[in-house]
Amino acid sequence: MKAFEWANPTTVGEAVQLLKSASAGSDLDEAARPIAGGQDLLTTMKDYTTRPSRVVNLKNIRGLDLIQGNAKTGLTIGALVTLTQLEEHPLVRASFPGLAEAAHSVATPQIRNLGTVGGNLCQRPRCWYFRLEEVICLKKGGSECYAAKGENKYNAILGGGPSYIVHPSDLAPMLVALGASVSVFGADGRRVIPLDKFFTLPNENIRRENVLRNDEIIMHIQVPASPVAARSTYLKFKERESMDFAMASVAAAVQLGGNKTVRQVRLVLGGVAPIPWRTPEAEQFLLGKTLSADVLAEAARLALKGAQPLEKNGYKVPLAQTLVRRALAKAGGMAA
Amino acid sequence: MQQAPVKKKKKIRVPRVVNGVETMVEIEIDDEGGPGWGANDKHALLNHHLRRVDGPLKVSGIAEYTYDKQAPGMLYGRLLRSPHAHARVLKIDVTAAQRMSGVKAVISITDKPAQDASAAGTKPSEPRDTIVNFAGEPVAAVAADTPEIAGDAIRAIKVDYEALPHVVRADDALKDGAPKVYPEGNLEQRDSQGFATKVAAAWEQCDVVLEAEYRTPIVHHACLETHGHMIDYRGGDTATVYASTQGTFTIPGDAAKELGLMESNVTAIVEHMGGGFGSKFGIGIEGALACRLAKQAKAPVKLMLTRQDEFLLAGNRSGSWQKFKAGVNKDGSLVALQALQYQLGGLGDGSQAGQPYIYSAANRYRERFAIHTNEDSSRAMRAPGHPQASYAIECLMDDLAYKIGMDPVEFRKKNLTDKVYHRQLDRGAREIGWDRRNQTPGSANGPLKRGMGCGIGTWGGGGGPQCKVDVTIARDGSVMVAVGTQDLGTGTRTYTRAIVAEELGLQLTDVIEKIGNSTLGAANASGGSTTTASLAPAVKVAANKARMAMAEQLAPLLGSVKPEEITFGNGNVTGGGKSLSWRQAAAALPSAGVTARGEWRADLAASGVHGVCFAEVEVDVETGRVRPIKMVHVQDIGLPLNRLATESQINGGMIQSLGMALWEGRVMDVKLGIQLNPGFGDYKLPGCAEMPELVAIIDDEDKREAVIGVGEPSIIPSVGALANAVFNACGVRVHDLPITPDKILMALTNGRTTA
Repeated sequence: MKAFEWANPTTVGEAVQLLKSASAGSDLDEAARPIAGGQDLLTTMKDYTTRPSRVVNLKNIRGLDLIQGNAKTGLTIGALVTLTQLEEHPLVRASFPGLAEAAHSVATPQIRNLGTVGGNLCQRPRCWYFRLEEVICLKKGGSECYAAKGENKYNAILGGGPSYIVHPSDLAPMLVALGASVSVFGADGRRVIPLDKFFTLPNENIRRENVLRNDEIIMHIQVPASPVAARSTYLKFKERESMDFAMASVAAAVQLGGNKTVRQVRLVLGGVAPIPWRTPEAEQFLLGKTLSADVLAEAARLALKGAQPLEKNGYKVPLAQTLVRRALAKAGGMAA
Repeated sequence: MQQAPVKKKKKIRVPRVVNGVETMVEIEIDDEGGPGWGANDKHALLNHHLRRVDGPLKVSGIAEYTYDKQAPGMLYGRLLRSPHAHARVLKIDVTAAQRMSGVKAVISITDKPAQDASAAGTKPSEPRDTIVNFAGEPVAAVAADTPEIAGDAIRAIKVDYEALPHVVRADDALKDGAPKVYPEGNLEQRDSQGFATKVAAAWEQCDVVLEAEYRTPIVHHACLETHGHMIDYRGGDTATVYASTQGTFTIPGDAAKELGLMESNVTAIVEHMGGGFGSKFGIGIEGALACRLAKQAKAPVKLMLTRQDEFLLAGNRSGSWQKFKAGVNKDGSLVALQALQYQLGGLGDGSQAGQPYIYSAANRYRERFAIHTNEDSSRAMRAPGHPQASYAIECLMDDLAYKIGMDPVEFRKKNLTDKVYHRQLDRGAREIGWDRRNQTPGSANGPLKRGMGCGIGTWGGGGGPQCKVDVTIARDGSVMVAVGTQDLGTGTRTYTRAIVAEELGLQLTDVIEKIGNSTLGAANASGGSTTTASLAPAVKVAANKARMAMAEQLAPLLGSVKPEEITFGNGNVTGGGKSLSWRQAAAALPSAGVTARGEWRADLAASGVHGVCFAEVEVDVETGRVRPIKMVHVQDIGLPLNRLATESQINGGMIQSLGMALWEGRVMDVKLGIQLNPGFGDYKLPGCAEMPELVAIIDDEDKREAVIGVGEPSIIPSVGALANAVFNACGVRVHDLPITPDKILMALTNGRTTA
């Protein structure tokens, strides 16, 4: 990796100043970068696809590694909480089961022991064209998305263009389904961003996947108390079970009313779009319905409505439809 | 075909391995007699479950691999690779790299050999016209104080390329006007066999005729230790080369040439190595460049390939594309079979066993070609050419059997003359529960559908006369067996000890082995599963000679007993009514102890093995996931020196074939000409969660009292077995490996099959 300066702030104030002062004027991929678990950043640095002049260590900042709150008030999750902490936390497991499942689905135990919640939300795309040092694709300031007409088996079927990456985070779809927001601190102060406004499509910002500025870091994730949280689930389909990103995934959260009809529902797709993909039509359709095979099938159809597969990822449509049906059945307590 | 061990013949045929590819050659051998192995079920140590002697060192991290080697003042080497699949290198400017602090040596492919610069009429400053032929080909190398500086330095080298047209897909390489990989073209005939006209005339006689094609992509060796060396050279006349290699003795000559030294002044050391699978013979381009860096810097250089380098330039298993037309009668007999075989080895030859592989067909014709592309050369990989051929023919056999409504096992027996296969098929079928299988593919209820399939493979695994083994018994009773051979992880250390220990009536812990050093007795390179069948007989002979030398010393002490009547067992030496403990006996030796050298004897080895695999999988037809449930592999092997290691080899073969069948494959971008998945994230090796129940069965019906190598055969039949199990489960045939969820889902969506 390219030689860099290592900075060790102990406060968020110091951290954002260190990020800001080393970012001015440089290319995005050479700007200062914060590091927490380093599970994604270090791989990009080793491949020289990120070449920060300064790396700002967040691990010495106190108070960002806690999970606080309860089922009635909602959760506040520090950005430095590890994925292992999240998946093993008794309150998360009991009251936000989908979130524990999403954390557990990530990578390997070793990576989950180091990888953080903040880092998971900010990880860069896995598109192989993007990851290869030799390829200067659209997202790296080049002129072409090579996946569009190339090897696009793992790429987007929804929300793509001009780049066809999929967002790699497993926490993101689940947190969006749970209505979470992030509190962010930067040189210009603090702001709170609903998570479904946090991620950006390629046609909004081709070089980045979210609204964070170079000098901003995530401090906390707020997950509100919600009647759907208790019946939440995250189904992830991995090509290789041992360790993989999602070929497609579904975060579902349901509140059932009288007669087991759907009172509230959230359905968000992962692995199929550059951002966690919300499915308002399917959600709307499900309201007031009793879950049945036919209802699930129609919800699945609506969730994938508008999908525009590329040459080699047409399979993602039936795959994601299966996952939608299974996730809803599971969250809704239906026998599968 | 199982060959019996050769008894007292002068001329024999043995496998000779060149760069991992086995060919048979005829040699003359001595007609001397000597001790045999004895009955396979009468051994004290051999043919038992022996724990590997280097196991504790490896699991505790104490074992030092080449990757771990350090030397004072050692530099780290890194390669700069071409990003172009085909290009002319116009200019390489290394000045910025040379100026970097910590950089000690920089070389490039446009460097002139030293003697050229002084030759009359040459202009030293003029760069050579140099072509790179695949993306990943090294164009320069750097040695620096740290790997990080070396990494920065290769990126400071400026290379001007003129990109030339490339081709990286076999179909494209055959098109008119395709860029020529070699001046002669991209298609090269390898062989043709049989009678095309007879086959053409036979179609009419067939009840059913089927046409099908099957493809396998390039797959990678994925050695956990990448290729590389630590060249311990500091100027002067001698060098020590630590190498991750399958051939200790392939290193000194190669390295000496690059370092400008005498071969005998270069010592190769291979204490432990992290996998080769056929890809590690000789020092290779990375070793040559490491030597040149060390020579320039006059300092030790460690150059281990990065994982990306490893994928891009360290060889691979050639891909395959096989087209068949086959006809059968309703009784299951193969009437005619025609095969067009393409082996896809990039710049290399590739390899593929000829069809119809192990099967008999009344009329047959095949043509075999190599198609060249701008990809790095294929190398030998665990049973070169066999998994590709076996996979395709086993799929075809199943497709034919289902078409005529015949049990696939019965169909195979009908077309296999060698009865060993019949018995192994029966054994495997019993173990997997073949009777439980789907009679009709895809017919199970619900989205999770189970299926079973089988496949068959064959291999040689014989040995040859290359090893020179020394066994020394010291006066304190310690025993050493020394030979320069290497242990690829296959258990060479353990059985070498065990043979000596058994011969001397001792335990495994009473013997130490010294291996992996080119100053010790010669040994063959480990290719073609020939290591064990070459080495073990020589070890046996050396141990027996040492025993006899010791017996001769002891006979007078024991009274009226002939040396050959003295028995060695349970740590005692017994004869003439007396018994000595091993230590007492050793104390009677001369001060230097006794040493004996053994060489290979043909009657202690054999070749020709059979393997059958059955697989059961579960396919989720709504997601395309294939979950392997169980694999059973039945393998004959003659005398298994170590049952535990043999079973591990068989398990390893099943695991590697599982990867090839379901997950692994090089992905190339056609336009850019580069590999898109040169890393363990995107090149998906199966992990623990993918493992089925693995059942390794040593076929003890094989009574040959002879050693046969078995490293390779266990990867052969299981690829086809898995593909057939998937078909049996879900009723759609995916015709190209790996069988991934996307292909299954699209096949189910689009109908019955994908091409």
